[in-house]
Amino acid sequence: MIRAIWDNLKGLYSLLVGMKITLIFLFSPQKTVHYPRKTVERENLITYRGPLELTRGKTDPAVTRCISCQMCVKACPGHCLTVVKNPEKSVKAPIEWKYDFTLCCLCGACVETCPTSALAFSHRIYLVARTREELIFDLLADLKARVEETPVLPGEEGASAEAAQG
Amino acid sequence: MDLSLVTFAQILVAVLAIIGLMVANAVVMVYVERKAAGFIQRRPGPYEVGPWGTIQAICDSMKLLAKQIFVPANVDWVLFFLAPVLAFFPVLLLFLPIPFGPYLTGLAVPDGIVLILAFAGFGVLSNLFAGWASNNKYGLLGAARAVSQSVAYEIPLILALLAIIFQTGSLSLTEIVEAQGSYPWQWNILVQPLAFFIYLVSLVGETNRAPFDLPEAESELTAGFHTEYSGMGFALFFLSEYANMLLVSFVCATFFLGGYKGPFLDGIWWTFIKAYLIMFFIVWIRWTFPRVRFDQLLNINWKWLLPLGLINLWITAIIVKLLP
Ligand code: SF4
Ligand code: SF4
Repeated sequence: MIRAIWDNLKGLYSLLVGMKITLIFLFSPQKTVHYPRKTVERENLITYRGPLELTRGKTDPAVTRCISCQMCVKACPGHCLTVVKNPEKSVKAPIEWKYDFTLCCLCGACVETCPTSALAFSHRIYLVARTREELIFDLLADLKARVEETPVLPGEEGASAEAAQG
Repeated sequence: MDLSLVTFAQILVAVLAIIGLMVANAVVMVYVERKAAGFIQRRPGPYEVGPWGTIQAICDSMKLLAKQIFVPANVDWVLFFLAPVLAFFPVLLLFLPIPFGPYLTGLAVPDGIVLILAFAGFGVLSNLFAGWASNNKYGLLGAARAVSQSVAYEIPLILALLAIIFQTGSLSLTEIVEAQGSYPWQWNILVQPLAFFIYLVSLVGETNRAPFDLPEAESELTAGFHTEYSGMGFALFFLSEYANMLLVSFVCATFFLGGYKGPFLDGIWWTFIKAYLIMFFIVWIRWTFPRVRFDQLLNINWKWLLPLGLINLWITAIIVKLLP
């Protein structure tokens, strides 16, 4: 009996703690980004899973790390990936890399299974398409375009300079 | 009291004013509640309609007015349409005996609190009708919960109020206010802190608000007893929910917080400030605590509030008897 009363008093105290937290939150600044007027900053998008993209190559950023092993194609539950091998056996890089975003469930199985870390989720949060066809991406062309636009990523300047020196 | 023409006119004016108050209260409280919910979750709440979203609630009520009233198959027509009306109109009566200001009472009846407690039962009845008549399993479950919950929480609520009534020796709300002083340390909340606490908890249970909102638990029962209502039927339930909140807040202000009496200048503003502080408290705990389970809800009531209320009442009775 005494124990039950004590437990209930402790419970009441914890309710007060909860109310204090919500009261503090009531007066703390908001986190909402009012979208059309403002956009989310880059560092807050790191955890956002947008459509897939091919990562930059180690030596030449414009050349994909993909070795056409087809692991991702097999792993994908939505059958959204098409990787076409180069008919010439000595070249491992694919000649075509198609990604159908309309079928993708963003599960990440492809990213996880890739032996060369050639795949990654992009952070393209403001993606708009008017037709289905626009959502079928050619990732090789996309990689090329990205590298042309920003040859060196902002965070990696020092690293690539070191690599060039070494 | 003979029902002269003057009394009749007074009641008429009071009822019209109360309807205005109810509608204004619902519109303002919906906005305040959504804003508070937003701020507590660190988002802006209604923002786009009008400056800072101020006319969002008005637009929503316009939408409700214009919506089709959809009647599902196999409903009990009479009860289905009686329920929202029965939820709305008795509440008008409940505001009549409340002393808003020293001279501003809709109808100063000597047994005001009995009137309020008696007619508050219609709210439960309307919930029961609504759930039963709409021939919907969620509605029926919601109604069953509403009844057992309201019946349970009415008892500690009355016990808490009875303690004050014993102490004041009057059933009239005006006299209860007059028995308290103008300054916070002369209010009943200090004399009867336990009764105040019991009242505060049962008030949330009585008005079916979170964390005791089991009759309308969205995640379990869609919308509970008003699942099948649309348009004005839903709007009436909504109005009466907020009106009931306002009513219990006014009663709480009258009984425990000195009603219209306050520091510096007694008057109607103190009633409203106190009542809306309690309204804010209700909103605040709604966005703080998760919903309790039904057995927990009844356990809180039968195992804690009821014995505490009884003990409190006994002690009050003995003290009142010994210290005349
Ligand atoms: S994220 Fe999942 S569904 Fe999308 S491409 Fe990769 S494996 Fe397929
Ligand atoms: S798993 Fe990686 S390396 Fe293999 S085909 Fe897919 S992207 Fe290329």
